[in-house]
This record gives sequence, structure tokens and C-alpha cells, in this order.
Amino acid sequence: MTTTEVASQPIAPYSNRLSWYQRLKKTLRDNLIWYLFVTPAILLIIVFMVVPIIEALSLATYRWNGVRPREFIGFENFQDLGTDRFFLGALQHTIFFSIAATLGTVTLGLLLAVAISRRVLGASIYRVLFYLPVMVPITVVGALWVRILEPNFGMLNTFLRGAGLEALAESWLGDAKIALFVLIGVTIWQYSGFPMIVLLAAAENISEEVQEAATLDGVSEWQRITHITIPLIRPVLISISVLQVIFSLKVFDLMWVMTRGGPGQSTDVLGTFLFDEAFFKRKYGYASAVAVAMFVIIFTITYIYQRIVRVENAKL
Amino acid sequence: MNRLRHLSLVKIIVVVVLVLWAIIELYPILFMFNTSFKLDPQILNEPFSIGYPPSFESYARVWEGDQTGQPFLSYFMNSAIILVGTIILLLVTSTLAGYALARGRFPGSPWVQQGFLLSLAVPAHALLIPLYFFLGNLGLRNNLLGMVMVYTTLGLPLSIVLARAYFLSFPVEIEEQALIDGCSQFGAFWRIVVPMSRSILATIAIVNITWVWSELFFAQAFLSDTDMQTLPIAVASYRPAQMQASAAISQHFAIMALTTLPLLIFYFVFQSHIRKGMTAGALR
Repeated sequence: MTTTEVASQPIAPYSNRLSWYQRLKKTLRDNLIWYLFVTPAILLIIVFMVVPIIEALSLATYRWNGVRPREFIGFENFQDLGTDRFFLGALQHTIFFSIAATLGTVTLGLLLAVAISRRVLGASIYRVLFYLPVMVPITVVGALWVRILEPNFGMLNTFLRGAGLEALAESWLGDAKIALFVLIGVTIWQYSGFPMIVLLAAAENISEEVQEAATLDGVSEWQRITHITIPLIRPVLISISVLQVIFSLKVFDLMWVMTRGGPGQSTDVLGTFLFDEAFFKRKYGYASAVAVAMFVIIFTITYIYQRIVRVENAKL
Repeated sequence: MNRLRHLSLVKIIVVVVLVLWAIIELYPILFMFNTSFKLDPQILNEPFSIGYPPSFESYARVWEGDQTGQPFLSYFMNSAIILVGTIILLLVTSTLAGYALARGRFPGSPWVQQGFLLSLAVPAHALLIPLYFFLGNLGLRNNLLGMVMVYTTLGLPLSIVLARAYFLSFPVEIEEQALIDGCSQFGAFWRIVVPMSRSILATIAIVNITWVWSELFFAQAFLSDTDMQTLPIAVASYRPAQMQASAAISQHFAIMALTTLPLLIFYFVFQSHIRKGMTAGALR
């Protein structure tokens, strides 16, 4: 396009003499339609994402209860975070929750995907069923499991008592030692279907030829899984694991509905801690410092992941 | 007999484990629907009994909203309006931007593309407090339009990436023909490309419908007026304290069932599309 335009304009020196302003105007006019296409999206991102992030960074350096004037305190909020045992506890729970929930959902999802991809009896039914809980809103999943796990009349303990396993009946969400594990269990119950469908799609992409060659070579089912399926779906396995970690770091709904961070702060995570500091204690500056910390952690992981994925894709 | 000999012990174990896991996955959901048709004493004393003949009393109470303060339709309509508004706005803005990034080589396009990729990494939590005050200043707190704007922004990065990837593989020849025939660039997009791109519109809708319907973090913070609240807030507003102390267990189950049902219907109607769409979204 540009070359033909230059060729049709024999008086080239004139175009060189256009001021930067005229050149900008020409560029804008020529590409106006594309700028109009991207403008709505850019506006939304700037107004509702970029400006708020800058605002959060700035708020984090103030002490502010939302009503009285802001008081600038520099990095004091961040220093306080470093010694706030409730924040450090929430950070620790969030990291533990993310790693355990990811290991659980991805491992289980992988096992299910491998089994289903080998066309076991009823494979098409499992594929539909195991994804079903993923569709249920987390709020509902949380509320439902609170009822199921209720110590006196809940379905689980009633079942255990009926089955003569009284000793296993617990105050599932009332015991600070086990509550976080229970929440991880509920997450695995709900989300293992997600890595499953993604890994299943990858496993089914393995070409028929590879599978047939393996069959002709007479490999055992176990060798097929460890030497063919898993190595070939490894990139997807890594992707879905990182996505699960990022997703779990943002957990909020489950704790909000099931435990509100309790008992005794034992299930407090960054999401609930942030929410409490902001909207219950009205420490907006301090809560913004928590938000900034979360932003740094999650943004870094996601960004590194995107870079690696793009490099890997470029190699393919 | 011959077939039985082929079934090795391992295969039997695998099938048994799969069936057991299917029961564990499915039973709580069936339990939820079943329990919503029972009355509180029945729920407490016989948790495993079948809710038959069904009692619709809990549904009647939820319909009037005597526990949560608002009738069911209020929550439902708020959720539905936010969902429909968000999906429509998302489809329009993300396809326009994705198309421009796939086709246009305009000055600045690499930066725009890079910016959208960066926005993919932004966690929503970081936006909570500034948006709370910003929406307050605009008069958009306790306002469905405010939620639509926030959710659209949160859904945009992934939707644009998906749209751009799709349009990159869309054959250019078709649009070029339209342009030669005298169509404007926008006309080619709107009249030729969009009608042929139903699959990407469906994918963008699918990856966003579930989370928008279920979203609680922002809704809980921005919608304090009960007449503006959504279904997930209604579900969360029941205090799940000791069961015997609470007198509204069946109602809680009824509103859980009603909140879940639209998504389950959606899943059963479009299930293979949904699993494909979510896979595409995860692997973008």
C-alpha cells in the first residue's frame, strides 16, 4: 500500500516537508476505522483497569478510613504488612491452598482424563458428569457443603454415624486444624473436571498413527500412559497447572461462604483479608497495600507464564 | 466368558473407581435438588429420604423472599440483566478490537496488542477498592450498569485474545471481495465477517457466562442495597450457622437450586460446545 502511494506521488520532497502534525493527521485519517474498532475496548480497560491500578498504588501509601482526609504515610502500610501476623497467616494459607488445590485437581484430572481417553466403559457419560460441578456457582457449592458438613445434622456425619464410623465424624469446619484441608477437598471436588476436559482434549489430539504404532509394538497400557500420553500432553499439563495456581490465589467466594476465614483465622486468605480490612475495618489504605501485594504476586506469575507459553508456541 | 477374560483386574478397578467418583461428584448436586423439596424437620431428621411427594413450600417462601428481604424475581432479574448486558457489551467490544488487531497494521497496533496481553495478567482483586470509590463518585455503585461495565472490563482481555486468534485464521479473501464490491471496512466486518463467525461469538459467550452469573467478590462489595443484589449474594446471605438454630434450611436449598438451575440447563443444552469453549479459553 505505502509503496504504491509513494510511487504515485512524484513530488516526494513535499511529503518530507509535511510537519509532524500533518503526518500524524494523515496517519490517523488513513487508519481511522481501525482506531475506532479498538477504542471501546481500550477506553474500558483504561477507565476500569489501568486508572484503578494506579489509584490502588497511590492509596497504598496513605492512611485513610474513607471519610476523613487521607494522611500520607509512605511505605508504612507495607512495613506493617510484614509484621502483621494475620496478613502473613492469610498469605501462607493462600499459598498452601493454591499448591494443594492445584496438585489435587490436576492430578485427579489427569488420572480421569487418561482413563477416559482409553475408552473405558461409559467414557462418554463420565466426560459429561465430571464437568458438571464446574458449572455450579462457587457460592452455591460453598453453601451446599456447609450444610453437608454441619456436625450435628449434616449429611456426612449422619452417614458416618449410620455406617458405624462414628470416630470419623468431625466438626469439619469448626476445627482450626482441618478446616483448610476441608476447603481444599471441596475445591478438588468441584474443579477436577476442569483440568480433566482440557487434558482429555489434548490426549485425544494424539494422532491415531502414534497410538497404532504403539499398539503394534505391543506396549503395555502403563507404558502407553507414561511414555506416550503424558509426555505428549506435557505442555498442556503445565499450562493448566499454572492456570489453576493463578485461579486459586484469587480464591474468595469459598471462604466467604463457608468459614469467613475462621475458625480463629485458620482459613483466612488474601481475598477475604483484603475484603475485611477494606469494608469492615475501613482501613482502605492498608487494604490497598494488600491489593498491591496480590497484584505483584499474581501479575508476575501470569506474566512469566505468558512469556514461557509464547516462547514454547514460537518453537512449535 | 471370552469377554470376561479380557477384562483384566486393573480394568475392573479403574471402572469401579470411576463409578465411585461419579457418585461422589453427582450425589451432592442431586442431594441439593432433593433437599429443596423437603421441609426443615425432615431435612434434619432424615437427610437421605427422598423429597417425595415434593413440598413446594420452600420455593413459595423464596419466591416471596421472607428470609432475604427481596422476592426471588428481584435477585433473578438483577442477575439476568447484568449477565445479558455484560455478554452483549463484551461481544461487541471484543470482536471489534480482536478484528482490528488481526487485520489492521495501523501505527501503534503492536502496543495495543501488548497492552491487552498485559491486562490478561491483572488480578481483579487489585481493582476492588479504587473501583468501589470510583463507581461511588459516578453514582454507579448499587447500579446494574456499573456492574456491567466492571464485568465487561474483567472479561475483555481473554475475549479479545480469543477473538484475535479466530480472526487471524479467518480467510482474508472473503472480506477483500466484499471491499472490492464496494463495502466499507465496517460493512465488510458487520455484514460478511460477523454472520460467518458464530462459533467465536459462542465461545466468547461461553467462557464468560458461568463466571458472570456466579460472581460474588465485586457484587458483595458494590451492591449493598438489597433491591440491587444478585442471586449469589442471596445464597451467601443465609447464615450457615448451626443447623438446628436456623429455621430456613429448606429455603436456603431452594435458592441454591434456583441459582444453579439456569447454568445446568445451559450446560445440558450446549455441553460439547461448553467443554470445547472452556478448553479454548484455558489454552488461549
